[in-house]
Formats: sequence, structure tokens, C-alpha cells
Amino acid sequence: MTMTYEGVNRQAVAELVDVLGAERVVVTPQGRLIRAMVPAPFPFHRWADEAPEIAVLPETTDEVVAIVKLANRLRIPIVPRAGATGLNDGAKPNRGGIVVDTKRMNKVLEIDTTDWTVTIQPSINMLKLNERLAPYGVWYPDDPASYPVSIVSGRIGTGGWSLLGSRYGHVRDNVISMEVVLPTGEVLEVGQGGGRKIRHSSTGYRLKDLFLGHQGTLGIATQATLELYPRPEAEFPAFFGYESFDAGYRAMQPFCRSNLATLAGVILFDERKVQYLRRDDEAYIPEPESLQSIVAVAAYGSEGEVAAARDRLMRIGAETGGRYLGEELSELDWASRHDRYATPLHGRSRDRAVHMSWHCEDAAITYSQLPFVKQRWHEIADRYIAEHEVFDNWGMFFYTNNAYKGWGDFLVEIDIGIWEQRLDEDSWRAWTNLKREITQVSLDAGGSISACHGATREGEVELVPAELGGQFDLMLKLKRMLDPNNIMNPGKYLLDQAYEDGEG
Amino acid sequence: MTRIPDVEGSDLVPRDPDVLSIGDRAAAEAATRKLAEGYEDRAWGCMSSRHKFCREPCPVYQVTRNEQHTSYGFHATVAAMSQGLVDLEDAYEQYAYCTQCGACELRCPNTLFTGDFYRNRTQLVQLVKAVRAAGVEAGIERGSWKRWNDDTVTFRNEMQGDPAQVAGWADDLDLPRGGETILFCDCMAAYRQTKVPRAVSMLLREAGVEVGLMNDQWCCGGPALEMGYTDIYEQFARHNLEDWRAAGAKRVVTLDPHDYITFVEDYPRLFGDYGIEVLHITDLLAELIEQGKLRLERPIPVSVTYHDPCRLNKRRGIWESPRKILRAIPGLDFRDVDHVTQWAMCSGAGGGLPVALPDVAEKVARNRLDAAAPIGADVLASACVWAEDHLERVAAADGQMPVVDITVLAAMSAGLLEAEPWLAEVGRNREGAP
Repeated sequence: MTMTYEGVNRQAVAELVDVLGAERVVVTPQGRLIRAMVPAPFPFHRWADEAPEIAVLPETTDEVVAIVKLANRLRIPIVPRAGATGLNDGAKPNRGGIVVDTKRMNKVLEIDTTDWTVTIQPSINMLKLNERLAPYGVWYPDDPASYPVSIVSGRIGTGGWSLLGSRYGHVRDNVISMEVVLPTGEVLEVGQGGGRKIRHSSTGYRLKDLFLGHQGTLGIATQATLELYPRPEAEFPAFFGYESFDAGYRAMQPFCRSNLATLAGVILFDERKVQYLRRDDEAYIPEPESLQSIVAVAAYGSEGEVAAARDRLMRIGAETGGRYLGEELSELDWASRHDRYATPLHGRSRDRAVHMSWHCEDAAITYSQLPFVKQRWHEIADRYIAEHEVFDNWGMFFYTNNAYKGWGDFLVEIDIGIWEQRLDEDSWRAWTNLKREITQVSLDAGGSISACHGATREGEVELVPAELGGQFDLMLKLKRMLDPNNIMNPGKYLLDQAYEDGEG
Repeated sequence: MTRIPDVEGSDLVPRDPDVLSIGDRAAAEAATRKLAEGYEDRAWGCMSSRHKFCREPCPVYQVTRNEQHTSYGFHATVAAMSQGLVDLEDAYEQYAYCTQCGACELRCPNTLFTGDFYRNRTQLVQLVKAVRAAGVEAGIERGSWKRWNDDTVTFRNEMQGDPAQVAGWADDLDLPRGGETILFCDCMAAYRQTKVPRAVSMLLREAGVEVGLMNDQWCCGGPALEMGYTDIYEQFARHNLEDWRAAGAKRVVTLDPHDYITFVEDYPRLFGDYGIEVLHITDLLAELIEQGKLRLERPIPVSVTYHDPCRLNKRRGIWESPRKILRAIPGLDFRDVDHVTQWAMCSGAGGGLPVALPDVAEKVARNRLDAAAPIGADVLASACVWAEDHLERVAAADGQMPVVDITVLAAMSAGLLEAEPWLAEVGRNREGAP
């Protein structure tokens, strides 16, 4: 059985207007084109072909249910869109259809100061949510690079990773329960066991995880109950410089194993990242040329604990040969961690400054394999850059990747600048080939294709079955069971295979 | 490439009836090409970032939650125009969703982190003005803005006030005409918020600063320019400059930030350096207080929070002077919200928004008042008569706190104005409080 879709037709538009009112139905060319893309690399040379046919802006669960049921009945693809700030392309429509843009679902429904939960319509931004929580002395600590703009429902759709995850956990750890509209329009309450505010349960399967990181293929979250933490009394960031990548790499391990419960994260910069920052970043220009690598650490918690952590982290920095870069740089760089490191103005094409988009390719890799992956990724990137003027190497970061601890596997990222205005079919093909080579290295190193973005894009998605093995077959069965008509975000994660002849 | 085809049934979603279409696709396409050529590079500067950090601080986006109504959305549409996928007739309507407050320009990573080095600043306000002007030039315009500008030409002010009465607020103040320092009074202040220019005149006289009025003050022209009516703007600007020159003016004191920014940003684009210093009243008053020339001695026993006018704080960096004035008033409990937090706030009164989209403008104001409410202040003060008038109406309808101009507070503290009725009301509420 293969799926055939209908385009958005007059009947669909009429019904959508009936459900939402005309003012929340978008049919204009510019309203459709902007919802064709996210910050992930985008083939602007064929922008028109990528646009959805229509977008809708629901405000309630009932409206989402009505839209999903309509799409199912009329066999029109629907693509959930939250903040649209991801570096994967979960929110990008692959088959046209209806974009369900959930940004208007941003109400705070309950702040529970007794059991320490907040229940929201999940399309609220984390910074805005924390402004609402501040008077109660609590916060929701999810802290991606996109913290000032991304929204909780998108974080749910991607199963996001947080810069403070080693102290406070990641999205999977901090979403307690959810209300999800399934692809058939049924509404499911999903959590740990049954209670909306229960964090740990042994009842039944752990189904909550299925709805975290599905890239909009299994449902639309319309309500979520989140974990709250006491606001940190103190935070201590420290940046240490090293004279080689190897020295920084070796220093990372003792920081990660420092036995400090307040340790929020450790970040290693390689020499190419330092070179990129030296292009014109005033924070690094005064640093001596001998500085080739940086390890940044941060501790969060009560004043007494952070004071003790400070002493230990400074000692580790000294013992590993690190040069403390000072309070001003440490504090300001940490404060600007969300937007300092990727600016289009730093783009260079053959040494000429041009506007380039930041693209971060990520993977989860164990500590022992980091040098191998670093060497291979740079070789691949540099080879493509030599052939194509639209690419640029912005260096690599290595981050602690696990909840509540600093060791284990690491989030590895290589940042590639892309001159998107100049993309054509040839350079787009080169981009997906570059990606595929990078992805293969991650698998060769025993890693996972993506630690934080997802793996649905051309160039990586082809290798997902190789990474997941039998788990991928189970994904196909689950997809077909929950979405019998392949309505929800079709074309993602190779899930169309679930509907091919002989399957199910 | 050609414009992307409409989806079947798109006619069931009506266009905004306020937008007057030319129905001439060829003319629209020509205007689109011209506009896209001028703004394509800066559109790609924004598209290359696509971080969208401009989004949550945008006061209009906070109301509509529509990503088209952001700096990113406006630049994306220009990029689409540069590829021929959208034309001006499609795009024009979107560009009304902006108060030209400038928050997005500040919050753009291209401005914040590398802007100094590369001499780059994201300039959304200019882009919005350019799209609106291109529309008007091609015959695509909003009925509401067209009527408003027609009226402004007829009356030479924005309030449809009798032009002969533009200085009527000063009839009993014995202010001279002309002189080295001219007080530019603003249309709203001249006809409706008259207590503000009266307070300003008394304060300046008290401090020994001699100011005169224009012989014939016309609208500054800024709002016409903001809505895309360049010809009307230039007509007003030329008249005002001639009037100042005839009066022998060396400096102009403004009491409204909209006038101020028009004189310091737009007039120089038209005239070059026109040789007249332009001041905002808050800078002047703060200086006079510091120099001891103006004494604020009568206690004003109220708690006050301050709304930073966007054109002062976000667009011109004037946020210290108003705070200095409030802190100089004895007995006043000033509950400050820092000016960076206020990047995300706006009264909704600017950029033609209340004329084109009054419901959206009202919701922006409501968000501003809701942000002020938990501070528990008695009064919301500001330094912009347009913001105050707009906020005052919404606050009155919602039973929110009174809104007052900072110069009125200063004049009360200087003993130049009697206490206003709201002050007694605040006092009574306090006495009755548990």
C-alpha cells in the first residue's frame, strides 16, 4: 500500500475557516514561504517548491483536534510547527499540506508552588516562562542555544538538549507529562504512569519518551506539565585556556569527573573554533596566540555549594595547566552563550567576508573517540571547502551530554558556515554529501548521528536504519499503528517505508 | 521565477479590507523589483542568521504570535520578493504590523555581538518605512492611513484641530514667538494633552530658560513618513525648517519622542546638517536639575514606575535622564524597571499601528499595563504624550493605574502646578488600605 495525498482544496479551506475564523488561516504567498523553512540549511534556490499550501494558527486543544481530524478525513498532510528555530528540519513540510503553527498556544495554566510543577500550553518560550515563574523563586532550567526564542513544544518535538543538562537534566527529564493530539485526532494523556504530576512510576511501559523527539511525526503536544527547580542562588562560570587541543581534551576529563553535584556543564573549544572567534571577536583578540583551546565550566546551585565548587574547579584548572581567562571574560562569555558564537558576519568565502548561515552538525560520541571524530570531520569539511566557495569551517565544540553527570558520551558539533544566497543544485548536493560523510564517521566511532537536533535531513536520514537496526523496524510499526494514513509530517525519518507494500 | 500560485479556495480568506489594491500586477511587480534591489542584501543578512532572537521582544508579535510580524518575517518577505515569489501587492499588508519601536534592531545578534566591528546595525525601521513608501508610490495603500494623512494635510496637525489654535494651549502663558530656543509642542500635546506643554513651559521659565513658540507650527511630518507618505512628510518638514530659520532658532526643544526622532534622524537625511540643535525635554530638565537651576522641592508622596518611550530608549539611548528627574522628586517612591527589560515593552501607539490596526495597538498597550501592574506602583509615568494618551485610554477602560507625563510630576514638585485629582485619589486609596 502506498499513500496518496490530496492537495488543500476549497472544501478544506472552508472547513478550516469555519473552525478557526479567517484571521487564523494563512494563505498568502509570504505567509506560506516563511513557514517552508527553519534555521537548518535550506535550498533557497527551490524555495517555491518547499512551501506548504496553507498554515493555521490554533489556540486550543479542540481546534487542533478538529484540524487533525479534517486532515485525516481529506488525506491532507499536516506538519506541526512550534518555534521553528531548530537545526533539524522537523517543522519543514516535505509534502506541502497544512502547517499547524502552534505559537498562539502559550498560556500558563497552573503554577503549583506546593508540588513544584508548572502546567502550560506548551508553545511558550522558556525565557518568558521563567519571567512568569521568577516571583515564586523557581525556574524551568531548559537552556538551549536558542533559549531566548525557542518554545517548549518544539523542545518536546526534538527531545532537546540543554547547556545546563549536567546539573538540571534535559527536556526528557523535565517534562513530567503531556496532553498529545495523536495523528487520528484522539487526545492522549501521557506521563510516568497515570498521574499528571508523578515523576517516577513502575506502572506500564514508559510511553512518555515516545512523544519526546518524534519530530512531529506522532502527535501535537497541546499541554505539558513541567518540573520546577529552586532558582540558583549562585552561578560560577570559568574559562581556561590551553596551548593545544590535546591539553584541553585531557583537562576536560578531570572537570567532568570532579564529583561536584553543582557542575552544570563543561565545554571544550578546539583550535579552529578559537581561530574563528579571533576573526574579530573582541573577547579573544587580546588573548595570546599560544591559546589554542578553551575549556569552559559552570556550576549552579546554593551559595555554599557553588563557593566550594569554585575552589575545586579553579584547582583543577591549575593542575591541568590551564590559564584562567579572568572573571570578566568568563562571566560575560557565559552570559552571552546563547548568541555570541554564531554570527553571519563572521562568514568568509576564500577570505572574503560574506553573510553566511551558521549550521551546526552534531553527534553523540564517547570521550575516547573525540579526537578521531575531530580529525575526520575537519578533513571532510576542509575538502569540501576547497571545492566550494559557499562553505566555511567555524570550528568545533564538545559538550557534556548527559543528565545529572559530566561523564559518558559528549555532544560534538562542527559549525559550518553556508553562503545560502549562492546555493544551487550542485552546491546543495555537495552539502548533503558532506553531511553524509560526517554522519558515517559518527557511526564508525560507535556514536549516534545526533545528540540534540534529530536526524531527519537528507544526508543523515539515510543512515538512521544503520544506526538503529531493529529499533528502526519497531519505529515503522509504531508509526503505522498511530498514524494509519501517514498524515502527520509525512516524508520524515524514512517513515514512508511503513506504508509500502508488504508492510503491516 | 514567478509568484507562487494561490491555493485553491484562498479567496475564502478575505484580504484586509483596509488595504486598497491597485489591481495592476505589472505596476506592483515593477515596484517590487525596485524595492527588492535596494533591500536584498540586508534581507539576506537577516536570513543568514534566522536565529529569530528578535521575535519575543517584539511587542506586536507578543500579541499576534504570527512569525510574519517580526523583523525576521519582514526580511524573509523581502528575500522572497528578491526571488520574484511574492509581489508588493501581496506583501504590503504585512508591514502594518510594526510600531517601529526598534527592539528587534537591538536584539539582533548581528547588531549586538559583532555590529560594532563590522559597522553593522540591523535596520528594520527603515525597511518598514521603505516598503510602505513603495506601496504608496505604486498606488497600494491603507484606507485608514490615506484618510489620516489627507486630514493631516487639511489641518496641518494630526488631531484635526483648528490650525489657528495650534498654540491655544499657551494663550495665558505669555510665551514669545521665535527666539534662539524654540519649543516644538507636538500635535497631541497642542490639542489634547495640553497640560504637558504647559508644565514644560512653566518649568523652563522657572529655570530661566527662555523659549519661544513657532510662528506657525505644522505637524513634524514623522508619522506621514512612518506610514509611507514621503511627499507629505517633506512638505511639513520644509515648512517647519523655514519657520525655525525665520525665527532665528539655534535650538529646538521637543517634548515628544516622535518629534525628536524625526528631527534628529529624518530631517538630516532630507536637509543634511541643518545647523539647529535638537533636544528632548528630559535631557534638558535633567541637566537643569543637576546644575541647580531647577529645584524640585515639594514632596510627591506616590510610588511611580516608568515606561521608557521606545523612540527615546531603544532608538536613541535616552533612558538615564528621565530616571534622574524621577529620582530628584522628594517623597516619590520610584520603582524602576531597567531599560533593557523594557526593550520588550511598547505602548503600541507608534508607527501608525493605532490607525491601521486599533485592536492590535490596544492589546500591545494592555500587555504594557499588565507588566506594570505587579510592581504595585500608584502611577505609570512616561515621557511621550502619544504613549500616555493611548495607555491612559486603555488603563481607564480596564481600571488600571493612572498614567502621567514626567514633566507634570516635575512641575507639581516645583510648585508650578496644583496637585492633580489622581494624586488625591491615590492618597485616599492608601488611607483606606488595610
